[in-house]
Amino acid sequence: MSAVAAAEVHEKRAGSAPRILVFSTNNISDPGIDLAGSQHMHYSPGVEVISLPCTSGIKPAWILHAIEQGFDGVFIAADGDECAYLPDCSKRASRIVGEAQALLQQHGHDPQRVKMAAICSVCAEPFTKHVQQFSATLAGLRSSGVQ
Amino acid sequence: MSMDYDVLVVGSGIGGMESALKLGDMGYKVLLVEKEASVGGRMILLSKVFPTLDCASCISTPKMAATIHHPNITALTYSEVEGIRRNGDGRFRATVRQKARYVDEAACTGCQQCETACTVAVPDQFNADLVARRAAYIPFPQAVPKKAVIERVGTSPCTDNCPAGIKAHGYVSLIRSGKYEDAFQLVLDATPLVGTLGRACYAPCESECTRGSLEASVPIRRLKRFVADRHYATMDGPGIAPPPPNGRKVAIVGSGPAGLTAAWQLARAGYQVKIYEAAAQPGGFLRQAIPAYRLPPEVVDQDIRNVTALGVEIATQAPVRDLEALKHDGYDAILVATGTPQSTGLDIPGEQLHGVVSGLGFLRDAKQGRAADLAGKRVIVVGGGNVAMDAARTARRLGAQETLVAYRRGREEMPAHAAEVDDAEREGVHFHFQVAPLEVVGDAGGHVTGLRCQRMTLGQPDSSGRRRPEPVPGSEFVLLCDVVVVAIGMAPDTAAFAAQLKVSPNQRLQVDPHTLQSELPYVFAAGDVVTGATDITRAVGQGRRAAFMIDRWLQGRELDGFVALDDRLPVVGKAQVLARQREYAHREPVTVGATFSAAPRDFAEIEPPMTEEEALAGAGVCLDCGVCSECGQCVAACPANAIDLNMRERKLEVEVGAVVVSTGYKLFAADLKPQYGYGKYRNVITGMQMDRLLAPTRPFNTVLRPSDAKIPERIAYVMCTGSRDETVGNPLCSKFCCMYSIKQNQLIMGALPLADVTVHYMDIRAAGKRYDEFYEQAKSMGATYLKGRVAKITEKENGNLVLRYEDIEHGGTLVEAEYDLVVLAIGVQPNREAERLFVDEPLGLDEYDYVAEPDEDLNPGQTSIPGVFVAGAASGAKDIVDSILHAGAAAAQVAAHLEQSKTKMKVPQ
Repeated sequence: MSAVAAAEVHEKRAGSAPRILVFSTNNISDPGIDLAGSQHMHYSPGVEVISLPCTSGIKPAWILHAIEQGFDGVFIAADGDECAYLPDCSKRASRIVGEAQALLQQHGHDPQRVKMAAICSVCAEPFTKHVQQFSATLAGLRSSGVQ
Repeated sequence: MSMDYDVLVVGSGIGGMESALKLGDMGYKVLLVEKEASVGGRMILLSKVFPTLDCASCISTPKMAATIHHPNITALTYSEVEGIRRNGDGRFRATVRQKARYVDEAACTGCQQCETACTVAVPDQFNADLVARRAAYIPFPQAVPKKAVIERVGTSPCTDNCPAGIKAHGYVSLIRSGKYEDAFQLVLDATPLVGTLGRACYAPCESECTRGSLEASVPIRRLKRFVADRHYATMDGPGIAPPPPNGRKVAIVGSGPAGLTAAWQLARAGYQVKIYEAAAQPGGFLRQAIPAYRLPPEVVDQDIRNVTALGVEIATQAPVRDLEALKHDGYDAILVATGTPQSTGLDIPGEQLHGVVSGLGFLRDAKQGRAADLAGKRVIVVGGGNVAMDAARTARRLGAQETLVAYRRGREEMPAHAAEVDDAEREGVHFHFQVAPLEVVGDAGGHVTGLRCQRMTLGQPDSSGRRRPEPVPGSEFVLLCDVVVVAIGMAPDTAAFAAQLKVSPNQRLQVDPHTLQSELPYVFAAGDVVTGATDITRAVGQGRRAAFMIDRWLQGRELDGFVALDDRLPVVGKAQVLARQREYAHREPVTVGATFSAAPRDFAEIEPPMTEEEALAGAGVCLDCGVCSECGQCVAACPANAIDLNMRERKLEVEVGAVVVSTGYKLFAADLKPQYGYGKYRNVITGMQMDRLLAPTRPFNTVLRPSDAKIPERIAYVMCTGSRDETVGNPLCSKFCCMYSIKQNQLIMGALPLADVTVHYMDIRAAGKRYDEFYEQAKSMGATYLKGRVAKITEKENGNLVLRYEDIEHGGTLVEAEYDLVVLAIGVQPNREAERLFVDEPLGLDEYDYVAEPDEDLNPGQTSIPGVFVAGAASGAKDIVDSILHAGAAAAQVAAHLEQSKTKMKVPQ
């Protein structure tokens, strides 16, 4: 989808909460996000979560794809330094985010549409705060007409 | 299957995980075995750790994930090690029992839909029993692996005792959950005769019900009727669509419970089925013999429509005499299920007189409205079985002036069900025990006038185990009567098949009891024609078996694998179930609502239906003996098709170079200090329960007290509960109770700023880096520490608790203080499971029954067996920091041992 078409999709959704795709990790951040739900904490209804074994496996192209399919932003709930697979997981993940931001820019999207934070297995509250802030940022982008 | 590893680590608490990870990092192949469904032990369940107040879950989840994903660690969860033996070469062999999870781990995605669907709730051990979890469960949100388990302790006694293999516990738990149609469908899975069994079954399930040991058994049969009535009120037929035909045809001879059940099962598998019934209407004894006051014929019709709805054809007035000819009509297999339509005669003079009728003939005529009016007549029913009871009660309804049952043994020996005998008595039937008929006496017109009888006495037990009746000489007498109903037995009518099949002298067809296949491979036989007269459930069970075996045979498969009846899990003992709880609250039984008249005049159904309220109350008292009820909701809900209730445990043989015992500790059972009232006073909780109330994954999202969910304002801690206490046999200090209590004090003051926290202690043990500072910090935050042991706790009516203690620092006076909530800082006990791991060489224990470290000063981690090491709290109370240190030391010991063994092997002997 072109940036123009994506903009149209964003336009149509203007009245609803920004759609955020979250990449979580099976063992660490996903239980934390799960906990936010089971404790009935409030966070944006525009959030959808896909769980993966490890953040370092995310491809920048997926992030671009998500934005072009109509997501307003992508949030990576990473393991930080606690990844069970790779000691340099954080480093790799930040490189992926950097590349994704560059890719978004190339395609005319604001690099702020991707965000990463470390979420632990019980970080329900930090997660809700992160997505609320991110949602506000994305809503801001939407109202200022930024792609 | 045998596999080799360098090290076997038993237990995956923080100690076991640490040893496994360090050994894995060193390059050793590690097998880690954990009995629960997740690694992590107790640490993952804690709120925070002291003195850093780091979140326990946050820091242990990465460790758990690292353990599971480590390339050198194979982690087997929900498994137990048994029988470790040392080989001559110093290595070990062990058996690992992989308990059946009933969930395919590879397919399960951890979506928790099975938990949502599950109809059984049990105390959640991962929440210190504060709340319930489901029988289908993932231990906790951070579980690694995050895979579901179905907890099955065994087959529940009700289900186990059903000869039809109907999952009684399953439909009871479905009804309890309001899933009435699902309950109906679960019974339908076994047999189409849901309404019939809901009325006329003798409910062997109820006689085994564990609740029966308390007030009264769960009204299982009436619950089945309840769901049948509800289903039929809105739907004609089974509510399921016929399957696509498989192109094969089966003929069934006989339309009683065995034939109908087999037809139903075969039709559901896609067979084209035709039933041949000799009588004018289908149903066999259900229609011919069971009186309408117990089983209205409309109910039988409804049940039969389940079968015909699937395309089963029923030909009536179509007796079959030649099986081979039937085969030539294009059937691939034939099932003979013709029951026992013949009445056994008395074989005494006068049986041909007018007024002598067979029990079956009498019941059949009554059912078809052809019975003679018995007004003013005296009727004698000879026999003591259920048919005799039905005949006697039918005679009452036909107006008999007097109905007498004559039976040659005593009441205790009657083959009829006790309830039937009682009900007959309630309806005015009289009994004459220990009499045997000698002759039917008649008048000149050939009509019955009496029955000449002889008194009997009971001698030695015969082959049936009942005492044999023996005549009393000279005791003959005549009972005056107008009608004699002979109901002493029934037999099959198999003369027509004798040329083709093996028939026993008592007319039963002889088939393989397991496969029900006859000598003519395409002919199977089931039900009373094989077993002799039994009851509906047995016939249903036989019909299911026959259908299963016919299907296997036609598919060219081995005639085995009939799980429904042949491979149920062992039954759960009632004592085992009742021992799960200290006491049981009285639950008023749902009474049987049948109304009896001493002179019944019609055949209206005597038992009223259950109301929904009664059904919910009746099902609600179920004790979930087997835990999983086999209701099948999880199987239906699982999007990954990962659940298989037929899974069974597996045993794995492994050979290892060394063993690490990291089985941890047990928490002190606080009810062993009865003066503190744990288990009796709801607001007395343990330290572990408080940790759960404070944990990020806490069950209530706040700290509240159990009795009334009030947020407590005054909280007391009773230190050294079960430690430093000779009276409970534990003189040892548990080492970490002071610190975890101080941690909780700080967390409570953070969570409930208005709460007062008072700690009753003997002395505070806060030795360790930043430990004493942590204590001082708690004091400065406002926690009060009072020296003096608590003698007694009593409960007030409002749930508050009064602590009686000696205030040592203020003159030693006896003081009483009132609190909203009391936390017992329970200590630890050794986990005796460690010693049971080894079979031929005992693992040395210290005087307190912890795993002994004979050289603990210089070689911590070494045990009495060379090559066996201990890590963490299995060797004595340790906090998390010490457990990790100890586990690291044990790992180093293991590495040294393994390297040394390699060197030894290289030296030529």
